Amino acid sequence: MIDVKNVYKSFGKKEILKGISCSIEQGERVVIIGPSGSGKSTLLRCMNLLETPDKGEIWLDGSLITSADAALHKEFFVDGKLNKKQLKSFEREMSININLARQQMGMVFQHFNLFNNLTVMQNMTLAPVMLKVKTKAEAEERALELLDRIGLLDKKNEYPSKLSGGQKQRVAIIRALAMDPKVMLFDEPTSALDPEMVGEVLDLMKDLAKDGMTMVVVTHEMGFAREVADRVLFVNEGVIAEEAPPAEFFGNPQHPRLVQFLQKVL
Amino acid sequence: MSAAWDVFYRQMIPLEGYKKVLEGLGNTALIAIVGLLIGMVIGCLLATCKILPKSSFAVKLLSGFSDFYVAIFRGTPMVVQLLLIHFVLLPIMGVQIPIILEAILAFGLNSGAYVSEIMRGGILSVDIGQTEAGRALGLNYGQTMLRIVLPQAIKNVVPTLGNEFIALLKETSVVSFITVVDLTKAFQNIANSTYEYIIPYIVLALVYLVLVLAVTGVIKLIERRLRAGDRR
Ligand SMILES: Nc1ncnc2c1ncn2[C@@H]1O[C@H](COP(=O)(O)OP(=O)(O)O)[C@@H](O)[C@H]1O
Ligand SMILES: [Mg+2]
Repeated sequence: MIDVKNVYKSFGKKEILKGISCSIEQGERVVIIGPSGSGKSTLLRCMNLLETPDKGEIWLDGSLITSADAALHKEFFVDGKLNKKQLKSFEREMSININLARQQMGMVFQHFNLFNNLTVMQNMTLAPVMLKVKTKAEAEERALELLDRIGLLDKKNEYPSKLSGGQKQRVAIIRALAMDPKVMLFDEPTSALDPEMVGEVLDLMKDLAKDGMTMVVVTHEMGFAREVADRVLFVNEGVIAEEAPPAEFFGNPQHPRLVQFLQKVL
Repeated sequence: MSAAWDVFYRQMIPLEGYKKVLEGLGNTALIAIVGLLIGMVIGCLLATCKILPKSSFAVKLLSGFSDFYVAIFRGTPMVVQLLLIHFVLLPIMGVQIPIILEAILAFGLNSGAYVSEIMRGGILSVDIGQTEAGRALGLNYGQTMLRIVLPQAIKNVVPTLGNEFIALLKETSVVSFITVVDLTKAFQNIANSTYEYIIPYIVLALVYLVLVLAVTGVIKLIERRLRAGDRR
């Protein structure tokens, strides 16, 4: 589904991702853990190109969606010289494809990022209607169905500011679902929540997992990782230091940094 | 004083000076309102040019143009811009349009410079997470800007835009330089034709004051409406 190939990313002089490769299979639930600042968010954001990798490739369903290496592709060189015009048109095409690619990847943020100027209903229907994924009627029907599923049907005409943190995050999740994505990316979806609201969000995520949704989840919720994950990745200092099914990952960690990390968080 | 008042009354009502005053009021309002609307469109475009990621040469060019525009229109007095448009720019281009349109154009162009700075601040005040959420759903830059960021930016700058409108409204009093009859010119004509200056100019000041107070009230109302979605 998603293939990350040898991705590098720096901010200024600081190299955050140092050659990361991983692939997410269809229907797989992958949990990413690691110390704060290790590059988990950056990796997740590279997957849907909210960050552009400096080097390396991101593939979605067999299509290359990064153009970072486009200049190195042979077809843009004529007699050893770069054909700028052809490269430009390729990149223009790419940027359209980036938007198309993003439609297939739902993203859930730590701070919810519901559109403050729109009601719950409008939050859910804006993108599907604007991007012609659904007609207005279809989008509204789907929104109502999803709102009903999370028990917030009565909030459909409220603005986000009137919702609790847990409600906001659940709406953010179904807003992404309303686009019928193939994969859902979660960046610490419960880290900004009051403890009593963490459960309702995790329950919804478990529900999605049960439905067979492909999920990539950055989280500090080890219980969730144990219960839901097919595979757990440990990101440390910009590389994937360890990768295993949860039983093995938590039961028999190898990397010394992981052993140390697990001692601290468990 | 009562004699002066009689003169003013005679000039206003039986001699129908009020008609000129109303015409002047209409012109003042028209120039200020349409000027601000043009200014908002130009301002949003210029602000967007400044905020676009500086990845290509074209964007850098646009951003440079935006800086140049703001420098020109903020760096010279409004009256001078008005005179330049009326006596230099339009004649050179060989364009002839009604002077009221010239005034509207001049004020719109000028206000665009100020609004662009206001809008830039407004856009930057919208949390980057809003843009990211829009882009992550697959909306392109323009769609995200138009439907998510700009509405919130405009809401954030309504009070500042209101101040800009009030400043604009008062500044329209210079349009008589190109022979547009606005509120000020109408009262000036009354004063000049009666040689009684005190009352016309006091009334003129009061009319501006009432206008500004009314506008202030309307802005408060708009602000309250727009804040409907906020936590109180
Ligand atoms: N847009 C950015 N500009 C500059 N530095 C950034 C940016 N995003 C992240 N960083 C830096 O990159 C490092 C890794 O960030 P991140 O991927 O968010 O880590 P994690 O999610 O694992 O805590 C941090 O030191 C952070 O300060
Ligand atoms: Mg993070």
